[in-house]
Amino acid sequence: MTSAVSIPRTGGSGGHTAVAARARQVVKAYGSGETRVVALDHVDVDIARGQFTAIMGPSGSGKSTLMHCLAGLDTVSSGQIYIDETEITGLKDKKLTQLRRDRIGFIFQAFNLLPTLNALENITLPMDIAGRKPDRAWLDRVVETVGLGGRLKHRPNQLSGGQQQRVAVARALAARPEIIFGDEPTGNLDSRAGAEVLGFLRRSVDDLGQTIVMVTHDPVAASYANRVLYLADGRIVDEMHNPTADQVLDRMKHFDARGRVS
Amino acid sequence: MTVLKTSLRNFFAHKGRMALSAIAVLLSVAFVCGTLVFTDTTNSTFDKLFAATSPDVTVSPKNALKGGDVQKTRTPPTLPASRVEQLKKLPGVTHSVGQTDSTSVTVVDRNDERVGPSNGGPTITTNWKETEQRISKVVSGHIPRGPTEAMVDSDTADKKHLKLGDDLRLIAIPGDFHVKIVGITEFQVTNPGAAIVYLTDATMQQRVIGVRNAYTSIALTAKPGVSNEQLKKTVIAEMGPGFKVQTKAELVDESRDQIGSFLDIMKYAMLGFAGIAVLVGIFLIVNTFSMLVAQRTREIGLMRAIGSSRMQINGSVLIEALLLGVVGSVLGVLGGIGLAVGLMKIMAGAGLELDTSELTVKPATPIVGLSIGIVVTVISAYIPARRAGKVSPMAALRESGMPADAKSGRIRGAIGVLLTAAGAAALVMAAGADKAADGSAFLGLGVLLTLIGFIVIGPLLAGFVVRALAAVVLRIFGPVGRMAERNALRNPRRTGATGSALMIGLALVACLSVVGSSMVASASDELDKSVGADFIIAGEQGNLIQPKIAERLAAVPGLDHVTHFKEAGDTRITTPDGKTTTTDRVVASNPTFADDLRTPTVSGKLVDSYGEGAMSVNEGFAKDHKVKMGDTLTVAFQHGRSAKLKVAAITSDDTAFNKGAMYINITTLERYVPADQIPMNTMMFASAKDGQESAAYAALKKELKHDPQIQVKDQTDYKEMMKDQIGGLLNLIYGLLALAIIVAILGVVNTLALSVVERTREIGLMRAIGLSRRQMRRMIRLESVVIALFGALLGLGLGMAWGITAQKLLALEGLKTLDIPWPTIIIVFIGSAVVGLVAALAPAFRAGRMNILKAIATD
Repeated sequence: MTSAVSIPRTGGSGGHTAVAARARQVVKAYGSGETRVVALDHVDVDIARGQFTAIMGPSGSGKSTLMHCLAGLDTVSSGQIYIDETEITGLKDKKLTQLRRDRIGFIFQAFNLLPTLNALENITLPMDIAGRKPDRAWLDRVVETVGLGGRLKHRPNQLSGGQQQRVAVARALAARPEIIFGDEPTGNLDSRAGAEVLGFLRRSVDDLGQTIVMVTHDPVAASYANRVLYLADGRIVDEMHNPTADQVLDRMKHFDARGRVS
Repeated sequence: MTVLKTSLRNFFAHKGRMALSAIAVLLSVAFVCGTLVFTDTTNSTFDKLFAATSPDVTVSPKNALKGGDVQKTRTPPTLPASRVEQLKKLPGVTHSVGQTDSTSVTVVDRNDERVGPSNGGPTITTNWKETEQRISKVVSGHIPRGPTEAMVDSDTADKKHLKLGDDLRLIAIPGDFHVKIVGITEFQVTNPGAAIVYLTDATMQQRVIGVRNAYTSIALTAKPGVSNEQLKKTVIAEMGPGFKVQTKAELVDESRDQIGSFLDIMKYAMLGFAGIAVLVGIFLIVNTFSMLVAQRTREIGLMRAIGSSRMQINGSVLIEALLLGVVGSVLGVLGGIGLAVGLMKIMAGAGLELDTSELTVKPATPIVGLSIGIVVTVISAYIPARRAGKVSPMAALRESGMPADAKSGRIRGAIGVLLTAAGAAALVMAAGADKAADGSAFLGLGVLLTLIGFIVIGPLLAGFVVRALAAVVLRIFGPVGRMAERNALRNPRRTGATGSALMIGLALVACLSVVGSSMVASASDELDKSVGADFIIAGEQGNLIQPKIAERLAAVPGLDHVTHFKEAGDTRITTPDGKTTTTDRVVASNPTFADDLRTPTVSGKLVDSYGEGAMSVNEGFAKDHKVKMGDTLTVAFQHGRSAKLKVAAITSDDTAFNKGAMYINITTLERYVPADQIPMNTMMFASAKDGQESAAYAALKKELKHDPQIQVKDQTDYKEMMKDQIGGLLNLIYGLLALAIIVAILGVVNTLALSVVERTREIGLMRAIGLSRRQMRRMIRLESVVIALFGALLGLGLGMAWGITAQKLLALEGLKTLDIPWPTIIIVFIGSAVVGLVAALAPAFRAGRMNILKAIATD
């Protein structure tokens, strides 16, 4: 199974299509000839709007590469990627930058914040860059939801790891992107701080209707998602809806075992 | 061994980052070595020339002119021709040859263009003699045989396109005469820039010197086996006292002294500028190593964790510095030799021609170059090395490679403020000083302390200044501007050091521009205030005005009066207190001088000193020798008799022109000095009849059309000339300071390049969340501009403070008007912003090109 295309093309809210992003026959290969390594092998995937999607898989499965390609951070070798109805494969850097700025939000595993800016400035940074005024009410709501009210004037090095990640989430949300990509956003956090951030991501999907795609290898993190895609050797091998942590763990064990056998 | 290995690996791993530091070392060392090689080559060229042109023993009159002296009187001291024969008969002499030389002849071609060098080098006219063949070979034509024949050297002939048969006019003191070129000679040693015209014995004596059968000196050649010293003794025994007898060595020394002081000034000035560049380079090296150490914090922590000692870490950084020093210095020494060759080419244009095949590299040159480069680099790296040694093993475990914001310490701030305050106090003292000597000590101290103070509080100032600049300049750039501001502020120590490097050069520029423009303004003001004459006439390069020309000028129509101005030369004055002082400040002129140059007096009127048997003395002399109005002084004139003169006026010392001069009437001088020993006019003043100013000016210019060595200027042109002269000098100094500024710019580039590397992840993050390449580049550029403007603001502020203090101090010496050259200051400030933009080009491009994913993934 290399395809995870199972969502109707229309529907959902706000006049947008129900699919926030899609990949069609995406191949990502490094090197050439003997040393050619295929990170993504003809992947088809649809990301549902207003849903929390987790991408899982063992190290080297291509899950981060898939996310980077979907988010327009990395280029593909062949195939197409669309954000909403815009094909981003083949876009020039300028357009791509604009797209990331205006339509996509990011949360990285670490180093999400500029050390020179305080929490609030970091949150509004994408809009500042774009020269847009943040929507005050929305910003207040985001800040309130993230629970950082008293710490907005703090610099990142005055915040704990969990607080820093929450600022990163707030930044991703504040610009109201169509889709937020998270690259192991809780990878560096302890379980309590991790749970805080994940709960918050979940709420932003439920309450704010946000679309989120998150790469993780943590079954607990994946259990917050509506849908989990499993990647192995550059292919989508399975998917699961509304899973629990235990189900995810079982599935992972299964893949691991199969991986060892084959 | 491991330490050495890691040092080597690090050095080569970061060779790109080391490159700019290496260039800084290279430039400084190259400048030092270039200066040394150039001056050594110049010296050795002149030594060879003097050795070749100096006879074994030279006999001249006691008060003979030295090689470069300008002839001030109508006739120079001479020896009768009979002396030549007398000396020829002496045992130990093979040749005894009479010489007549003059450097006071202006030689022009048919178009009245000067044939001799117009700057620096002398034009020597001399008699052709057989012994001359040793140094000068006739390459075409023949030697001069008659009164209208001349031979010129091939360099001059080439430069001025002279050929056989061309007509030359020689403007000599007794009068002009024409000659035809009949021969061309080639010098057998390098002639660095003198033009030589050979004439016959008789022509030289009669037309140039104005005597018959006499020589200005006699050249003796010693027989083999007779030493020059022995011959000198024999000559002295034969001729008795009253003559100047010099061996070859003595004459070479005398000649070298004449140009040596000029070469020394040039050498030390250039070494001074090289020193400034070295100082600026130190900042660059300190910054580079600080940043490299900061970037390697985790790595160093790991080394410490697995058991490296502090000493080892410290040592490994120093070894890297040593490598950098060696590489930079070796290249610098080589570059210095290249620079010396370049300097020779440049100087050839300025009239000092050297032969690159005679390039003199003394062993001291590479030794000095290498030691400066290596010692400076290692010392500069010492502080960062020590900091590296202090990195705790814990650093290895800490998340993120970002160095913590360096907090500029309070102690540092306090010391800096203290130093600056002390420096400012010294400057205030200097400005208020009564005596120039005390004041200049204070000024020096003040400059040094404020400079060090500013360097020490640089990081603190960076905070204020960058914020202020950001508020003005960066606001308009929105968030990109804000981020640039934050980046410039995140490590104040680094910004401080980078800015300080630029500050040093710009402070000097600002200071000199203030002093220079105050000089022009003061002189103009003084000119307006004291010069009553419409026209000022003077010779170029210290040329005096030939009596015939003076006569012609006096006869120009439309003039109300003409004032002759003669310096009486060394004069011995015996004051009533019985003491005798020798001074060269006695000036003889016409009574109209009092109107032409209004000299303030403390008692009496200047015009009274032009009465019969009268003179004026200056305030300082009067005070020192307790001379009062009406006192009678005994004045013994050079080449003349003694006079008893009454003090009829005491002039104020508070004047810019001719400070300390003592005035007498020319008629007084003429009474006591024989006519042929009356000095020629140093300058002349003239005023037109009312309403005829422009006609008279044109007439004067026309009269001097055929005498390019003499210039007439009205007040406007004279001011313009002063401005040009000072401007030219300033430009030369700015050119030399450019070196220090270039090193400082390298520093800015280096700081930015390293911080771009350091902020790889940030750059990746910003690009990921939507900062465009263009915005990224703009951000880096703005940061650079802010750092450059910070340096400029500090430098210009400091430099202007120095310049104003210097003006206040020099007000005692006549620098009365303060003039701050705002256009220059503003241009420098704007120029700094441009420099900032240029410095950021490469780093900004690099930041823009950075691959987002790699940037995020970097540890």
